[in-house]
Amino acid sequence: MPIIEVKNLGKSYQYYKKQPGLGATVKSMFRRKKMYAEAVKNINFSIEKGELVGFLGPNGAGKTTTLKMLSGIIHPTNGEINVLGFTPLDRKKEYQKQFAIVMGQKNQLWPDLPAMEIFILNRDIYQLPDKEFKNKLNELIEVLDVRNCLDVQVRKLSLGQKMKCELIAALLHNPKVLFLDEPTIGLDVVAQKNIRDFIKKYNEKEKTTIILTSHYMEDISQLCKRIIIINLGKIIYDGHLNDLIKKYAPHKLLSVTFNNSGIEKKQIERYGKIYKFDRFKTVLKIDRDKIKNTATAILSSNLPIDDILIDEDDLDSVIRKIFQNKEIH
Amino acid sequence: MRRSFVFMKKYLTLIKITWQRALTYRFTVFAYRVGEMLEIIVLIFMWSAIYDNQPIIKGYTLQEMITYLLIGNLINAIVRNWLSEAVAKDIKNGNLSIFLTKPIAYINYMFFREIGRISVAFFMSVTTQILVIIFFLDKIILRFDDMSYLLLISFMIILAFITEWLISYLIGLIAFWTDEVDGIYSTASRLRKFFAGGYFPLSLLPPLFVNISFALPFAYSFFVPTQLYLRKMDITTGLKGIGIQLVWILILFIIVKLVWKKGLKKYEGIGI
Repeated sequence: MPIIEVKNLGKSYQYYKKQPGLGATVKSMFRRKKMYAEAVKNINFSIEKGELVGFLGPNGAGKTTTLKMLSGIIHPTNGEINVLGFTPLDRKKEYQKQFAIVMGQKNQLWPDLPAMEIFILNRDIYQLPDKEFKNKLNELIEVLDVRNCLDVQVRKLSLGQKMKCELIAALLHNPKVLFLDEPTIGLDVVAQKNIRDFIKKYNEKEKTTIILTSHYMEDISQLCKRIIIINLGKIIYDGHLNDLIKKYAPHKLLSVTFNNSGIEKKQIERYGKIYKFDRFKTVLKIDRDKIKNTATAILSSNLPIDDILIDEDDLDSVIRKIFQNKEIH
Repeated sequence: MRRSFVFMKKYLTLIKITWQRALTYRFTVFAYRVGEMLEIIVLIFMWSAIYDNQPIIKGYTLQEMITYLLIGNLINAIVRNWLSEAVAKDIKNGNLSIFLTKPIAYINYMFFREIGRISVAFFMSVTTQILVIIFFLDKIILRFDDMSYLLLISFMIILAFITEWLISYLIGLIAFWTDEVDGIYSTASRLRKFFAGGYFPLSLLPPLFVNISFALPFAYSFFVPTQLYLRKMDITTGLKGIGIQLVWILILFIIVKLVWKKGLKKYEGIGI
């Protein structure tokens, strides 16, 4: 029985069109042209308990819109949603006590107060028993290493510390389902990694079902086995990350470093397609199934080899390829 | 009993932490109060100059006029709030979304938050107003003799607080439909102050005008309780006023519910 089930879900927004220029602005005050934008178009997916699924897509693809519908913040134009047996838009308290959403660009913490005050407020809003609250809080504080941040006004914290506190505020009531909308946005590389590691560990330990959106490929590839790629409101891929790579990156990259005086282009050309050539370092693009043989052949040749390295094709370029092709199946 | 305590606990916590937040801005809050105090003193000087040799203007002696200003402003300091901006901000920047996912009703949240939020300003205002009153003690009328009047005025103030809160909340909800709300607030607050009799006693205007404002909810935040204090209005009229207030609270509450429902549909992007 899936914990999240989405059927034919769609969402259209209404907006007004306006031509540029002063004249058009004046005109638009009296008559505006109504336009409709389909943010999400009939998507279907289901998610099992404990899964950590990545929503990937460019800005405006419909990721956030989908999460908002799953949280019951906005009204779907069509389709059905079932999370934990509830229809999110009913906003039943029993549902609200079992899920949480963290939005990278919106805060539930108050900038003027220390984070601790909001944790206490959440304790009372979610009616948590004091002991349970304290245990959970201490555990989260330990794992996220924010003990020194709790009594400082939130606006004096760094972005990374703030996000950690936002995560704590969202996890205190021990939600079974967690939606993370761009949790690493704007963070530096180290802070991104910290948040990522935490999410991964938390999912493994608590078996919390998590949907995460991001446009950082790193986030998704490090965290999620399963990814759902959305572009222009449609799901264009839903499956394992590895399968996607196999399908969309049929090549691997073989980098060979040479010593002495290096090599000539024609000496290496016969082993495969040259991706980058330099006398001392050459990168070849080789079919996945031929990579082993090629590597062996190069190693046993009389070329002045210093080092040899096999790499995945750059994941970003895979994704770029997908967005350009639009449809995968 | 225990259930209701658990239910109330979140609101008490909310009041506590908003209070704390307000305290971090104690200097700003105090600075505002200084301005208020000066405004009242200026008004007192102005009226003193206008009266000059006249003993009575439109039924008011100078002493009554000064009492009107001081007592009225004290009552106004108790009933007012700054809710509209807070509500509009939540709607405009999308923070409302977070509340929609939590097991707490936004209207309740805001009601208790506002109580906490205004508390610091409230105590400072009341203190400064009382200081001004003490300063002009020989110029005003003190009337604490009749308990029934005091009770009536107190009850009226409580109802006025609720009325003012509902009106502000309603104005805040306009943000569902337009981003440009600052101008509306400014105009609305001036109109409110005018109809409440905050600039001058409404009885300086034609009687028809007084009758109209007696039927509106605004006068109960300033003019009517002050009239009761000055005994220019009797208990029966005061009780009638309480009735009108209760009707307004009911009407406003229903309007708030309807507007909230409609606004939320817009927020949710329904109706396409």
